[in-house]
Amino acid sequence: MPPPGGFESVKYKRNLPLRGPGAYAILGGVTAICAYGFYRLGKGNLERRELEREKVWSRIHLVPLLTAEGDRDMYRRQQAALAREKAIMKDVPGWEAGTSVYNNPKYHTPEIVVL
Amino acid sequence: MPADVPHVEEVGVTSAPLKSAAFFIGAYCKEYNEDFMLCKNENREPGHCLKEGRKVTRCTIDLITKMREHCLSQWDEHWNCLEKKNQEYYLCRPAERKLNACMFEKLGLTKTIPGTPTGQKPIHEVENPIYKPIQK
Repeated sequence: MPPPGGFESVKYKRNLPLRGPGAYAILGGVTAICAYGFYRLGKGNLERRELEREKVWSRIHLVPLLTAEGDRDMYRRQQAALAREKAIMKDVPGWEAGTSVYNNPKYHTPEIVVL
Repeated sequence: MPADVPHVEEVGVTSAPLKSAAFFIGAYCKEYNEDFMLCKNENREPGHCLKEGRKVTRCTIDLITKMREHCLSQWDEHWNCLEKKNQEYYLCRPAERKLNACMFEKLGLTKTIPGTPTGQKPIHEVENPIYKPIQK
């Protein structure tokens, strides 16, 4: 005999908890985040290029000043070396002080530096 | 120095003040700098461009005295910042803006970076850059 009120209905429905957003939502979300990240990266690369240009130009603007200063020092040393050579070699006949050992009129920085 | 070469004072500032003033030196002494570099292009010998070199140095000294007169506090602030921050411009923008404003107001010199793409804000004027100091 059935109980009063009838039998309770058969439990056949699956009872699973909600498992979060679907696969496409996650895929879309990850794609969106990555796209934003790459956008920022690209912007950052462009900006870094500009920063590099700024740095390079700050150095370019200082090149004449620093070269001029270095040249004066180099010239002073050259003249001193020439005078020294003349004084040392004054007894040697036919010695030309300050002539290069190379057969090339182009300037090159001296290999021997007297400190 | 041989006696026939006129004496010229050296600039006498270290790397950070020079870096801070670099763009103003480039703007203020443009003719002398270009003259000197063209002369160097002619001949690399140190003795060849002494005259032009002296002009470059005198012009820079002139600018530095003017900067000391007019914008000393801003300049000091900026180059001290550069000194502490690895001499990177992008870490010292607030101090740099103050210096740039003062230089424009008092001496009429602006900082321009050659080669900036047209229609783009120069990097030193960008309000919200991506590269900025992490430490505030």
